Amino acid sequence: MNAERRMMNAWQEARGERLWEKIRLLALTLPLVCLSALAATTGIAAAQQALAPPQNLRVIDTPSDAGGGLTVLWSKADYDTPNVRYQILMLVSSTTVDCHDKAPDVCYQLLMDEGAAKRIEKRMVADFPANSHYVRDVKWPWWTRVDRPDVHQFNLKSGRGLEMKNGTPYAVTVAVVNGTERVEAPPVQAIPEPNWFNWNQINNLAIVVIFGFVVLGSIQAAKRKEIFLRRIPGLDAVDEAIGRATELGKPILYLTGAGDMSEPSTVAAAVILGRVAKRVASYETELMVPHRDPIVMAVCQEITKQSYLEAGKPDAFKEDSNFFITTDQFSYTAAVDGIMLRKQPAANFFMGSYFAESLLLTETGASTGAIQIAGTDSDHQMPFFVTTCDYTLIGEELYAASAYLSREPVQLGTLRGQDIGKACILVALGLGTALATASVLLHADVSLVLDLVKDWK
Amino acid sequence: MTFLRRQLPLLITLVAGLLFAAQYYIPHPSSELMLTSVSKWLQIIGGFALVLGVTSLFHIHAVKIRRKEPGWGYSFVLYAAMVGTIIAGLSPDWEQFFRAIIDLILRHKSAFRDVQWAAGQEIINGHMTPFGWIYNYMMVPLQGTMFAILAFFIASAAYRSFRARSREAAVLLIAAIIVMMGRVPLGEYLIPVSGDITQWILNVLNASVRRAILIGVSLGAVALSLKIIFGVERAYLGGGKE
Amino acid sequence: MSFAERMLHIDRRIIFLLIGLCTLIPLLYPVGLAIKVSPEVKSVYDYIESLPEGSVFLLSLDFDPASKPELYPQAVALLHHAFKKNLRVIGMTLWLPGTGMASEVVSRVAREEGKVSGKDYVFLGWSPGGGSVIINMGQDLYKAFPTDYNNQPTAELPVLKGVQSLRDVNYVISLAAGSTGIETWYVFGKDKYKFELGGGCTGVIAPGLYPLLRSGQINGLIGGLRGAAEYEVLIGKKGKAVAGMDAQSATHFAIILLVILCNVFYLLIRTSKNRAEQNRS
Repeated sequence: MNAERRMMNAWQEARGERLWEKIRLLALTLPLVCLSALAATTGIAAAQQALAPPQNLRVIDTPSDAGGGLTVLWSKADYDTPNVRYQILMLVSSTTVDCHDKAPDVCYQLLMDEGAAKRIEKRMVADFPANSHYVRDVKWPWWTRVDRPDVHQFNLKSGRGLEMKNGTPYAVTVAVVNGTERVEAPPVQAIPEPNWFNWNQINNLAIVVIFGFVVLGSIQAAKRKEIFLRRIPGLDAVDEAIGRATELGKPILYLTGAGDMSEPSTVAAAVILGRVAKRVASYETELMVPHRDPIVMAVCQEITKQSYLEAGKPDAFKEDSNFFITTDQFSYTAAVDGIMLRKQPAANFFMGSYFAESLLLTETGASTGAIQIAGTDSDHQMPFFVTTCDYTLIGEELYAASAYLSREPVQLGTLRGQDIGKACILVALGLGTALATASVLLHADVSLVLDLVKDWK
Repeated sequence: MTFLRRQLPLLITLVAGLLFAAQYYIPHPSSELMLTSVSKWLQIIGGFALVLGVTSLFHIHAVKIRRKEPGWGYSFVLYAAMVGTIIAGLSPDWEQFFRAIIDLILRHKSAFRDVQWAAGQEIINGHMTPFGWIYNYMMVPLQGTMFAILAFFIASAAYRSFRARSREAAVLLIAAIIVMMGRVPLGEYLIPVSGDITQWILNVLNASVRRAILIGVSLGAVALSLKIIFGVERAYLGGGKE
Repeated sequence: MSFAERMLHIDRRIIFLLIGLCTLIPLLYPVGLAIKVSPEVKSVYDYIESLPEGSVFLLSLDFDPASKPELYPQAVALLHHAFKKNLRVIGMTLWLPGTGMASEVVSRVAREEGKVSGKDYVFLGWSPGGGSVIINMGQDLYKAFPTDYNNQPTAELPVLKGVQSLRDVNYVISLAAGSTGIETWYVFGKDKYKFELGGGCTGVIAPGLYPLLRSGQINGLIGGLRGAAEYEVLIGKKGKAVAGMDAQSATHFAIILLVILCNVFYLLIRTSKNRAEQNRS
């Protein structure tokens, strides 16, 4: 009995071990079997795919351009891998077919006629891996996209050996190449034409128009009610500087910078000159305004004359108070340094845009003991002004200076409009950063919102 | 008269301003052609502005010389330099010129057509012209000297003004020292990490702050441009309020 | 006046002398420390390296003689690199005072590399207008520059074959000392005509161009003498920029020392003033 039981146990044990062995064997071989099956299936599938020509191939005139461009579109395919390549081919006819006054399809047919067809060559204009060049890769905002993001898109543009004339039809095809295998789609054609509006920039235009309305609206609001302006220390010191110069009986030197009248900083400097000249006129202090640009000189002369008139001192105005030195940067700097050392002005004003001459001017002025007030939007020269001048107006404080001194509703309203614009940009920055971060973390497409703030220039 | 001085310039500004603002959004070749034509006008007007500048310069210094004002000697030097440079810039190749004169006298042959004029060029056929001599041996060293003075002025301004008067000034000072070290091989040799910190300061801190200033300045420029286009800002015409 | 106060009001000519010596001595007795290449300079180098032979490279030397010490070595290094790569080089300038210098550097480097004017390179010279010139070049190069600087008709030059406008240029680099410069080339050039743009500039304006670099508006930036030295190291042709690095190192350290000293004296004065006030109270 015991022997039987032992035999039974041994047999059961052996059976269990064999079973376990079988399970282990199955566990090892099953993945291999699956993989082989999968490989076989893929191979079969791949063999069955065998490179079909690109599907839904079409070519259109590139929208929102100056002409000379075509956009080629075709559907994605299962064989879109890095090993497979697409080639864009342009059909070039060496025959001269008269397409004048003929419809594009008639013209194309003429080109494809037996006689002409023999003289058609296919020129390869692009060659790239099949898993690239999709609609989503093109840097167009969502409202100008021509198809779904997963459709292939390639933009052909005149230049660098490829010439496409407006009004002339061009036939294009796409070939797919995998090793020695090559398949082409039937050619399609389109005519490049120039467009009258760049829809890619519509957001930019909308923002400019909105900002314009905000500024003009703020100006209207400023005419009705008082607008608060924070204190700008540099501007409070203008009166102090003029008063000091008057007490010492020394002249005031005012520079309008290196720019011409097309620069906002020069316009701001000219406007501030008007205010300063008015105060100077009332004290009858000598004012010297050396210039680098003859047109700026002419404008500032008029402004100064008007200021003296408004101050009730037209006789005190001197024609020579505004004078032209030279356009050359360092010649002008040397001349102004000479004026500072000889005339020893009590107050120096540096308003406008400056370059390397800034430190040469301000350091020389500091050595004469003058009080110096600077205002510039040239950010690369700001450190030099800040270290050498008593007061510095940074960036937009220069533009705000005109409003601060005059308290005119127009100037104040503009400032308010700019502040509203800045607030909107801050909100857009915060929102855009949050959305862009969220899109990376959640793998979501937020181009719907981000494209609205794209290309704001 | 007021119409010519006020209304007409404002009207021109409005039309031209709106036209060229719209031009940016119109890619059609006609729009590009218009921009190219106007760009050529700008180049021509720029040339006239130069004439205006030179005339103004001549006039101012002529008055100074005539009245013998203090420093009139320098005005005389300026005259001599300006006229001399103009003559040198327009002068012929003197060797060819005198050869042509000798040919005319001795051989009764006119070779003046072959004489090359400097026409503002520094080198002709490998030979330096008088204009080139003035440019290379006077203008280049003088301009370089003026720019080089900056190095000394920066040092004296830094010694005079770079003081840690407040916490912010102290932070600025430390950042300045790190960047000054990181931008030279000696600094990177002594403290290798200073180069990387400098790169970070430039690419992250500096770039973001510059962007902020740029945005503010750009908004100001856009607002000012809109005011000028719509005639709200008229100071550039000269004179005050109407 | 205490010692600290006297030191704070020291005659500036002593500072000038110190800076002068720090510049002169390393030039006479160079040390030759290693120069680390920054990513922004490497980007310019890598892009030129990637251009195939015969590509069109436009170098706009937008600086005057005042900026020669910083930008001239950049121009020399870039031209050597471009000529070695057998690129078709177009030189020009938007700054009138720099025309002679620009012409000299292009022809000198071309001569050293055995290149022929009209065939391998062309110097177009200067045309007034700044941004207008770029716009005109973007439409038709031959209308903007009907002749080159040597009065040769540009339409007949082999080096400009196939180049109708800026759209046909592969790479543009502007070496700028201010405005008109890199920003002008971007606004009126790259934004409209879609060519690749790189930049070189003086050290003082380089930080202001980092936003353009970070946003991809320019693909690289060579900043100041340091940038020129890095480029010389990359092309393996050390020149004036590398030679100037020792002097720049010494000068920077002199300024750092001066700044530290002035702060030490300032703190000493402040401390003694506070102590005096405390004693009084």
